[in-house]
Parts: sequence; C-alpha cells; structure tokens
Amino acid sequence: MKKTNKPRKVVTRRDFIKGAALGTLGVALYGKGGNLFAGSGPGVVSFAAENPQSTVVLIRNEKAIGAGDAIDPAVVQEMIDAALKEFSGEQDAAKAWAKFVRPDDTVGVKFTRCDWMRVHTEQPIIDAIVKRVGEAGVAQNRIIAQDGGLPVAKCTALINVPTVKVHTLTGIAVSLKNYINFSPQPSKYHAPSTNLGEIYLFPEVKGKTRLIIVDMLRPYFGPGPQINPLHRWNYHGIMVGTDPVAVDSICLQICQVKRKLFKGEDWPITPPPDNIFAADKTYKLGTSDPAKIKLIKLGWDKDLLI
Amino acid sequence: MNRGAVIKRATILFAFLVWVLGPISQMSANRSQENKATPAATAFASVLPEEISGWKKSRADQIFGRENIFDYMDGAGEIYLAYDFRFVFVREYARGNAPSLVVEIYQMTSSEDAFGVFTQDLDADEVHVGQDALYAAGLLRFWKDRIFVRILADKETPEIKPVIMKLGEMIAASVLQEGTRPGLISALPSEEQRPKTLRYFHTLISLNSHYFLAGENILNLSPETRVVLAQYEKEKSRARLLLVEYPSLNQAEDAHGQFAGIYLKDKALPEGEVQSQKLEDGRFSGILRKGRFLIIALDAEALPLAQWLFQETSQKLEGKN
Repeated sequence: MKKTNKPRKVVTRRDFIKGAALGTLGVALYGKGGNLFAGSGPGVVSFAAENPQSTVVLIRNEKAIGAGDAIDPAVVQEMIDAALKEFSGEQDAAKAWAKFVRPDDTVGVKFTRCDWMRVHTEQPIIDAIVKRVGEAGVAQNRIIAQDGGLPVAKCTALINVPTVKVHTLTGIAVSLKNYINFSPQPSKYHAPSTNLGEIYLFPEVKGKTRLIIVDMLRPYFGPGPQINPLHRWNYHGIMVGTDPVAVDSICLQICQVKRKLFKGEDWPITPPPDNIFAADKTYKLGTSDPAKIKLIKLGWDKDLLI
Repeated sequence: MNRGAVIKRATILFAFLVWVLGPISQMSANRSQENKATPAATAFASVLPEEISGWKKSRADQIFGRENIFDYMDGAGEIYLAYDFRFVFVREYARGNAPSLVVEIYQMTSSEDAFGVFTQDLDADEVHVGQDALYAAGLLRFWKDRIFVRILADKETPEIKPVIMKLGEMIAASVLQEGTRPGLISALPSEEQRPKTLRYFHTLISLNSHYFLAGENILNLSPETRVVLAQYEKEKSRARLLLVEYPSLNQAEDAHGQFAGIYLKDKALPEGEVQSQKLEDGRFSGILRKGRFLIIALDAEALPLAQWLFQETSQKLEGKN
C-alpha cells in the first residue's frame, strides 16, 4: 500500500501550546507566559472556588524537619490533626477522624516505599495515621499499613498516603500513581500513563478511598529516573483531600514552580502528566480545573509556591 | 593495603575478567540474582573494597539484567532498557549511624550508550573521575568506556564525600581504556551550545523524558536510531536542536514526512530544503532532511537562529551519509 503523509490525530506539543490538550494542565505546562493554570478564564482566582467541587487542605510547619532532615513526629501529628480538622469542619481530631473511618472498617494505609528512589512516605506520617485510625476504634489487626502487596480486596477503607515525585514516565507521581501496584501489570501504566486513573475503578479499589494524605515534607522535582539529591527540597508540607485529581493537580503546580525557580527558566515537567487530565475527563475521579478547587492553606507560608 | 596497591590489584583483576568474561557476563546478567556465582559480579566485586574508611559492605552484592531490572527499580527500568544496558551491579556499604552508601555500576554494550545514560540528568558540578563526572549533594555519577557509575550517600556529610570520590576513582582506574563518545555529537554546532544541555539517546521514551514533542512516535525512533538533543543561545535567542540519524534512507524519509505532516501540518519539502514555521507561541520549528539525517529546530525564539542551526549542522553532516 502506498504511504501517504496525510495528517492523523496525534497530540503534539502544539496542542498543549494552544491549550487544546489537557485543558488548563496543558497551558500550565507548556503555555507561553502568564500564570500557571491561567486557563480558567479571566477574573478567576485559581484554587479559590467559592462553591468548590473539591477542597484540599495544605498545611506547612517549619519545625516539621530538623537538622539532618530529621522529621519531628510530634509536629507531623499536629499537622495531620490540624489539616483534618480543617478539612472535616470538626473542632476535635477524634471527631474529624470518625468522619472517615468506622470501628468496623478494615483500613489499608497505602504508602510509598521505593527503595531505589528513596522518596518514601516518611514513617512519622504513617505512624500518625495508624495511631489515629486505631483511636477511631479500628482494631490494630485491621489496620494494614503497606506499600506493595497491600491486600486491597480485604480492605473496606483506604487511606492513600503518597509522596510527591516528578516522574520520568508518568510526569508526576502522587495519589493516582500511588495505586499503581494495585495492578498486576504496573508497567502498563507507564509512558503513556493516560489510563492510570482506571486503577481507582478496579472493583477491589473503587469507592474505598476515604482520605488522601500526601507527604509533602520533602518532594522531588527532578527528571529522574533515579534520585538526584539536588532535586529534592524541604517543603515542610502535608496535604489532605479526597479528590485525587485535585490533589495531584496542586502538587503538579507546586513542582512546576519549583522547577522554574531551580533552573531560572521554564523547565516543563515531561512527559506531560496526562493521567491527571484523563482521571478527570475519562475516569471522572475529580477535577483538575483550578477554578473548581478550593485550596485552604494553613501554617508556614514562606516559599509556599502556590 | 594502601590505596595504590588496592587500585593496582583491582585494575589487573578487572581488566582480565572483562577481557575474558565479557560475553559470559551478559548471559549471567540475564539470569536473575545469581550474583554470588556470576563472573560479572566477581569482577566488579573484586574492584570494590569490602571496607573503606569504616564503611563496610552491608549486604550481598546484587546484579540485575535486562530481564529483571524492574526488580531493582520498579517504575524506571524503562529508561535503562532504552539504551544497550546489559546489567547493573549493586554494592551497599554501611557504617553505624553514618549515612549508608550504594554503588551502582551499569555495564553497557557500547561506550556511546554509557555516555548517553550519563546525559539523562546533568544537574551537578563537574568533577574529574572517568571521562565525564558530576558530583553534588552526595551523588557522584560518571562514565568511562562502557560503564556508567552512580555512587549515592543517604546524606552528604564532610566525612562521606571523600569516600564517595575514592570509590569512584577506584572504579574508574580499573577500566583501562576510554570509550568513544557518539560520533553524531560532532555534527552539532559546538559554538553557542548551552552548557549541560546535550543529550544522547535512541528512543521515544528518552525523548519524552527530555522534551515532549508528540504523544506518538512521529519520528519513528527505535533502538537503531541515534539521537542528539541540545539547546542553543545566540544573540539572546534560544532554540533546541534535535538531530536524528536513521539506519536507512527510507526510514528518514518516512519520519520526515510524518514530522512535516503531523507537527508542521504541511507536506514535506524535498531533501535539502529547510521547512520552518512560526508556531502558536511565536517560536519557530522546522526540519531539514539530509540523507539519513533529520535536522529539527524546535522552539527557536528567532528565525535566524533556526536557520543558523540548519546551516551549521548541515555543513557538518557533509560526507556522513
């Protein structure tokens, strides 16, 4: 058959420049000039929705990380409690937790433990969550804190506890990527990673995620694939939400701003994290539109980046 | 044993083993983690000391080949598989409460690809180990001949940095010869090239990790294609230059047509004719085919810069087809 050069529908960099791909995410990554996520329309203040589709709480504390990058468990516990109280609208931490877990739940605390990459969920964050879940009445033998091999089918509730990593194959790895090992074929969701959101809809996963608590104490913004310590910074943050798309979108923006600061020029995250946009538009897991997200910022505001 | 004697001993043993066991080591790497028994593991293990400045080997050495690289780096092995990676040897050191150390020696089939893997991330300060080396914040990376090495400390301390450098020097000294850099680099204009922006690779997955062009493989990149990507700055304007060498004329022609049709949304011009366009962001992109080579200018802030890149590269490619 004779070959032709007839154009076929392929998403290219030009689509991102025009804002025709990934919506505001595309503009944020590859649009020229203007603020990140500026595609929400004139007059719209990003992440300040009055009637939000999603609410996310970001809390930071300068004292969370001490000398030698040591994490202060007490400060971390306070941060999580404060963020959860704000997120739930409760004055009391116990009441706040009771909104998300029940005593008869079997709770999977899905954290990130990646030996070769070394951007783990910090143990004090895992410990703080396990402690509060226990205090909410869940028996210790029904709290399963694990990364690989977490028996998700056995769990009635999941708490997604990822780190934040810019990723060579998926663009960024936060709450959507953290569930990748619930699939028997994780590499199926790499390059392209568009279908990463479908894992949230696996029968044994769907509807179980009660909370997302993101370890943003020491995120990674470099290209990878392996860690370059120059590309890790102490952000001192923890993020709480229930919408993985909103959470990942905010983390994406923070990392993108950090990259620009680091290089002193545009340094777009690549490949484009199209999994976030697809999780919104295809899998309907949440919103990536900053005009529909309310970001509540608590605590230390130096170098907030958002 | 003093350092000089250690290096000398290691050098002789390593050179011998590499010479004798090269083909065998590849086979060994393709078997799981039979690290204790593989000649390759023996070779690398012999180069490295059991103890250095109080840091002791803390677990059994590991070796991972193309088939099980994901057992070591689930979620990133693809980047190494995009090169002619054969296996990685991993040695870990620990010393009480001090930061631990991990040494990774990546054995590639060619020195060109050892260089290519090295260019994946060039953020760090240049140091003198092997043929090119970078160090920052407790991570040393270098390449020499057909190996790429990473030595990483959990945390950088004043005490651990000399240990990292010493280990690097020992490994580099054990590799007797230097390897050649990819010949394609010589076709790039060397003037006006921005520091630490040169990348060498083969496939789409690598291109996308540096620069997103398209969601599909419109340039028909494959393990057989050779690609260099670099950034330029001339008269306060910047641009990227992508140069692709195809194994055959047909493949270059096909990719030329696809880039023109899909990216520039135009019909490809004949060989030797520059085709460029001002895109939606006001920057220029264009393509020129010269035999089996595609010269592609991207994100040029000024048209003269794109034209200069085409002209310079085209001249340097004379006689390379």
